[in-house]
Amino acid sequence: MAPENRDHSQGGSSGTGEPRNEKFVFPRWTNRLVELSIVLVVGGLIYATVLITGVFSPENSAIGYAPVQPVPYSHAVHAGELDIDCRYCHTGVETGAQATLPPASTCMNCHKYIKLESELLEPVRLAVETGEPIRWIRVHDLPDFTFFNHAGHIQSGVGCVSCHGRVDNMEVVEQVERLTMGWCLDCHRDPDSELRPEALVTAMDWHPEGDPAVLGGKLRAEGEIDPSTDCNTCHR
Amino acid sequence: MPRPLTYISLVLVAASLIPIGMVFKSRSVRSRQETRIQVVYDMDSQFHFRAQSENPFFADGRSMRLAPEGTVARGALRNDDPFFNGTVEGDTLFVTQFPLEVDSGLLDRGQERYDIFCATCHGLTGDGNGLTHIRAAALAEGTWTPPTDLASASVIERPAGHLYNTIKNGIRNMPAYGSQIPPRDRWAIVSYVRALQLSRNATMRDVPPELRGELPR
Repeated sequence: MAPENRDHSQGGSSGTGEPRNEKFVFPRWTNRLVELSIVLVVGGLIYATVLITGVFSPENSAIGYAPVQPVPYSHAVHAGELDIDCRYCHTGVETGAQATLPPASTCMNCHKYIKLESELLEPVRLAVETGEPIRWIRVHDLPDFTFFNHAGHIQSGVGCVSCHGRVDNMEVVEQVERLTMGWCLDCHRDPDSELRPEALVTAMDWHPEGDPAVLGGKLRAEGEIDPSTDCNTCHR
Repeated sequence: MPRPLTYISLVLVAASLIPIGMVFKSRSVRSRQETRIQVVYDMDSQFHFRAQSENPFFADGRSMRLAPEGTVARGALRNDDPFFNGTVEGDTLFVTQFPLEVDSGLLDRGQERYDIFCATCHGLTGDGNGLTHIRAAALAEGTWTPPTDLASASVIERPAGHLYNTIKNGIRNMPAYGSQIPPRDRWAIVSYVRALQLSRNATMRDVPPELRGELPR
């Protein structure tokens, strides 16, 4: 009896003649809320997956990274047109873990006499004068928990171009490979197609005649090149 | 569904496509210049310093330290004048003999090092027509001096130690290459320069008879 009493009293107070409680009944479209929420959750998950893999994929986060450097040094001119060997500047690459960026004095070997007035070279002249280093931005930057040694790769006959791409065509250096663990392992498991005679490591446009894996396989057998896939090879 | 709610949902769905679109645009456009995307930042960039990195702790901001002045690292004492300076022991006279054994291995090394460091100015044959010289000449740089022909009489007459010293410390307009080329490689280059001098002034009589047919006329 109590509900009826309440209905009666509320209907009476509204003064419209409608039962007052209709205001508290969910509208008809809310019947679809269950389906809607399923669509929302599933759709949201798919959306998040696409977005996260898209943003964080190496194709997006690493490849194509080409920061603006303090000096607009052109590898296309120096390594391409002038055909200066990589090792002229990156002197550490054959003997150490780091390829090493050259000191500003290396630039001055030539620029003491060429383009003396160039404004673009002002940071280089300043660095030589004051000893304050030029703050180049590292393009190929592995995570700090990985160990990488340039010398070992050079001595095994892995060409610069395998990881760095055609730097001799780049006005601005950009990352062209993923440099992820999976990418490293692909080559460590099957390096044949990336191996070349050691004398040709810095040759940017060199291609072996025929299948690169055939020559690479031969070089691998001759040089007893056996890349490790142990964890502590790179994570030490 | 009430009208406003429908519109809001439609706007939200449309807006959610913007980040996706940005990702695909970013993936299709090469040479991106913005800051590197680091997924797990504090693992990618840990609190330690790598070679040639910045370290605010030191006044000069370098994480790599220079050796204190007047110190010599263990095993790095260079007290062998002929080998390290190209001079007679305890004197400033240049040595005329190589202070190390010259074999085909040293010559090959010399050729490789010459092609890396010297050929860009002096040219692959030592005639002074390297690509850098050609470009500097084309730019009509008044401050540029043509590189010396390494097979000229004056260079041939110089003692080996003089050539070594030139690589190490530079001469006239040629800069010092001592920081880029270690001592043994300097000698290797000197030996290869000697080979270039021989070959540039060679006659048919210097070629072994059985190989003469292979030379282009």
